[in-house]
Amino acid sequence: MTIADVLLLCLGAVATGAALLVVTTRHLVRAGLWLVVALGALAGCYLVLTAELIAWVQVLIYVGAVVVLLLFAMMLTRAPIGPSEDLDRTRWPGALVGSGVGGGLAALLIHAYRWSQVETPEAGTAERIGTEIFRAWVLPFEVLSVLLLAALVGAIVISRPDIGAGHQGRTTSHGDRRPIGINSDNGAGGEETPAAHRSDHPDRDGGEP
Amino acid sequence: MEELHLPPIDYAAIAPLLLVFGAGCVGVLVEAFVPRAWRYRVQVPLLLAGLVAALIALISVADKRVSTAGGALAIDGPALFLQGGLVALGIVSVLLIAERRVERGGAFVAQASVVAGTDSDRRQSSQPGATEVYPLTAFALGGMMLFCAANDLVTMFVALEVFSLPLYLLCALARRRRLLSQEASVKYFLLGAFSSAFFLYGVALLYGFAGTMSFTGLREAAAEAGSEDTLLFLGIAMLSVGLLFKAAMVPFHVWTPDVYQGAPTPVTGMMAACTKLAAFGGILRVFTVGFADINLDWEPILIAVAIATMLVGAVMAVTQTDIKRLLAYSSIANAGYVFTGVLALSEEGVAGTMFYLVAYGFTVLAAFAVVTLVRDADGEATHLSRWAGLGRRSPLFAGLFTVLMLAFAGIPLTSGFTSKFAVFSAALGADQVTLVIVGLISSAVLAFPYLRVVVLMYLSEPAEDTPTVSLPGVFTSLALVIGLVATIGLGVVPGPVLELAEQASSFIG
Repeated sequence: MTIADVLLLCLGAVATGAALLVVTTRHLVRAGLWLVVALGALAGCYLVLTAELIAWVQVLIYVGAVVVLLLFAMMLTRAPIGPSEDLDRTRWPGALVGSGVGGGLAALLIHAYRWSQVETPEAGTAERIGTEIFRAWVLPFEVLSVLLLAALVGAIVISRPDIGAGHQGRTTSHGDRRPIGINSDNGAGGEETPAAHRSDHPDRDGGEP
Repeated sequence: MEELHLPPIDYAAIAPLLLVFGAGCVGVLVEAFVPRAWRYRVQVPLLLAGLVAALIALISVADKRVSTAGGALAIDGPALFLQGGLVALGIVSVLLIAERRVERGGAFVAQASVVAGTDSDRRQSSQPGATEVYPLTAFALGGMMLFCAANDLVTMFVALEVFSLPLYLLCALARRRRLLSQEASVKYFLLGAFSSAFFLYGVALLYGFAGTMSFTGLREAAAEAGSEDTLLFLGIAMLSVGLLFKAAMVPFHVWTPDVYQGAPTPVTGMMAACTKLAAFGGILRVFTVGFADINLDWEPILIAVAIATMLVGAVMAVTQTDIKRLLAYSSIANAGYVFTGVLALSEEGVAGTMFYLVAYGFTVLAAFAVVTLVRDADGEATHLSRWAGLGRRSPLFAGLFTVLMLAFAGIPLTSGFTSKFAVFSAALGADQVTLVIVGLISSAVLAFPYLRVVVLMYLSEPAEDTPTVSLPGVFTSLALVIGLVATIGLGVVPGPVLELAEQASSFIG
């Protein structure tokens, strides 16, 4: 067992433990912070596997942007961050399915690899990845920009209350100031929406068919 | 530093793709720079022109059989045929999406972020719908076309995301029943993200197995390894979960009725026609190019999936009381019939599958077009009890819907019969007798809900508050005529299209 193996095992244990805490903690902000640890440990794994660029991208995008976005979303929507009766369910079915799938996958993967040695490939430097992307994978890479464009357009359509209506849309009713488009008067979080808005909704048809 | 060489790209072969994506990108620019009052009048012709140009480009490269862009795309017979089908169905979908006469301002909400039921929501109900739906539609259609031609797993995954994301968004933009629409969108998004994760995990495992992403490489590696490789089978299983989810096959179908019901009806039509076609295009390529030579241990599982899909779809359709949910379950059962064609794993099966997808697409789009027309004060009246006696109020549209229902039921002289015949005969040719028997039983069961709707329209007494059938605008009329002509035409003279599908049924690579 080399130092790399030991490091990989330790980082893997940290990542798995933190990931478990993400889904078991009852506090949403703590879950977000544990996510930082899990993703950071994963970045460490990439470094040990000599994929340096992927590691830094992981830190920048996931640890940096995604988690920050997550926490901002919680902050700006003023969503309840503690445990909530409406949203919490009994845990054992989820735990059963989760551990069943996780255990099954782990068993199958261990069975697949056993003690076979996989040669470490060349180091994943930025130069090598760049060459690969712009030689072999140039088309999917370019199409990804279309995906991002669609996501941007969609984000604007779904979240901006002031487009499409000119001055009419900028009213001061409580609901309109919520920055995220998915409104929550569908049951959970209903205490945020004034009752008057809920009662006389002309085409409110609930969720049930 | 050494010079970077791009792989050779056959621009003529990918011109249809570029045209559709280009129309989407120009549409985004239109949103940015054209005054609001003009956007609708610019967006619709722009998107339609892009699609028609793509169709012309497809016809002009119809004889091409190349693998281009570093092997990322295979422009071969099935890819071209399916892309052609997608563009044709896409044009009809766009006609439905662009309709603004039936409901003032169209089927889409003006500002999706306004909380449903508030004062400003009531104010915006008179405003014209958001025009961003047109570029989003273009991106979705482009992604589907790419999905049918993707020749390696990375391109396929990117294409999957490119067509899924705009669909998640479009689902949330219904003008009426906004909460239902938003719920549908969130459900579709969460489950779709989940299935994408499965797909991606499968891709990772298959790469670990073969060391390559291309389908031909996978096939060679699999032929060498034999059948006893856990990674390969786990990879196939995970990949299949992702693909079967998009095709709405049992047991990955639970999202379908809710999403079909909640989404704006034109978008539902597009999902039933185009998304289904694209998903099966991907499935065809994966199973016939990627995994064809592998020891067929996985086939019984897929046969079980096909049987479950046909039976569950048909039986659940019987119990439905909402026309959109009924059509959703019928589309699930139809996915099962299409899958029998795929499982034949022969060129005949590929041809039958492709013919089925195109024929079914036109019929289902026309059916959803009729659904958009039956309205009362609250919007579309989708509950079946509201359809009672519609045949007396509006014989024309009831007659039209009857023809479509008969086509779904597979009555001869409609496209439903010829397409079912095509896939079932291909399955018989491949000795899949069980599948054919189950398929026939399920078709018989499924005929019941269709005929029930017909009986309801003609023989029931209309209630006092029977909804009216709105007069369709030019766009919906055009979509209805195209759908009807295709349904009857492909039933009476299926020869030319079937022949085209047969000529185009061999994959390269």
